[in-house]
Amino acid sequence: MLFGRQAGFSVRLIAITELREKMSPGKLSHSVAILLKALSLGYQFGFEIMEMTGLPSGTVYPALRRLERDGLVTSSWEAEDAALKESRPARRYYELTRAGREAEATATKRYPLLSRLIPEKLGKAL
Amino acid sequence: MRLGKECLNWALALGKRLVPLTGRAEWAKEWRAELWHREHGVRSVREGRQGALSLAYGMVADAAWLRMDWAQSCARGSAYTCLWVLAAYSLLCVAVERVAEGSWRAFAGVLATRFLGSFVFVAVPAVFAAMVTYPLRPLRCNGAHGGARRLLSARTRWNFFLGVKLGLTLLLGFLATVVATEPARALAGARGAWAADWLELLLSALVVTASLRWALLDQEQRCQKCLRCLRQPTRVGPPSRNFLEWSGVALACEDGHGLLHVPQMDGSWCWYDLWVERDSGFTGLFRS
Repeated sequence: MLFGRQAGFSVRLIAITELREKMSPGKLSHSVAILLKALSLGYQFGFEIMEMTGLPSGTVYPALRRLERDGLVTSSWEAEDAALKESRPARRYYELTRAGREAEATATKRYPLLSRLIPEKLGKAL
Repeated sequence: MRLGKECLNWALALGKRLVPLTGRAEWAKEWRAELWHREHGVRSVREGRQGALSLAYGMVADAAWLRMDWAQSCARGSAYTCLWVLAAYSLLCVAVERVAEGSWRAFAGVLATRFLGSFVFVAVPAVFAAMVTYPLRPLRCNGAHGGARRLLSARTRWNFFLGVKLGLTLLLGFLATVVATEPARALAGARGAWAADWLELLLSALVVTASLRWALLDQEQRCQKCLRCLRQPTRVGPPSRNFLEWSGVALACEDGHGLLHVPQMDGSWCWYDLWVERDSGFTGLFRS
């Protein structure tokens, strides 16, 4: 029975290829690299990232979705109580996953000037 | 300022329609929170009409991206996509051959000659051999999986898809062979027609073997319920020295219909890939 062995081989190949495609430095565009850098420096939600990076919303949000789909970023909702204390709606916070941090390190190697573009977050930005 | 606000409201309403139903409420909640910062935040990105237009564009672009991604994920690996792609390639071959022949009558004549002259002699025995040697397994698609009832049973759809896919694959193989041998025929001329015939026969044998092999292997790696390609391959079990422990790869249906266990080493007790349907207790974890 050849099906079992061949299926096993082909699925392993697919998994390796998918992982390489996601992590490939060639896939890291400049704007995605900026986004990863901003997230690594502690900027957590869309408007804050737009403010600090200068990227338009049409770039930031689809890129965040794509990064989340690819497992480089994870998101969570802020507790309603914390938002109510500041009299504002709850935000959706994004943060890097382990794979995202690795991708960010690759991006920083590729674009060494990134660190100078975005200042580190000090306390509350907005 | 008022125009900017109206523009943003309009974009929010349009975006809500674009976003797939499952994520609509969350999307709107996130964007309302973001818009709050535009109005009440300490700082804001590009204030004024230009800023509002840019944000409105971003909102619609975000919603459109989510819709596209959802549509792509639905189509990815589905039975319909597979059949459409095969049909599209077949039509492309038809178009190329039609252009090469110059008229529909000549095109039909060439197809009939080539089909009855060589392809049928290769395809019929190959299909017969594939069907005879197709491994018989325990019953699949027994309808044990719950969920929405459809017009056709799971097994009927499974067999129907296999039949249509085999037909389209062979059709594509035939048309591709005809198109590929056309330059050889033109070069050989009337004197070398016998060589072109032999080339076509050999190419047909190769194409039919590859087509049947692909169609059957592809069928093996599809969900028994929804016929989508199985994904997320995961290694299960350590390799055993005495080959008595099961080890191999488990593939999952993205919609959570079940798992396919593919043994790495075939034994008398695990010579076929085992399809395990998902228990109803896991319903909440999946889309359907």
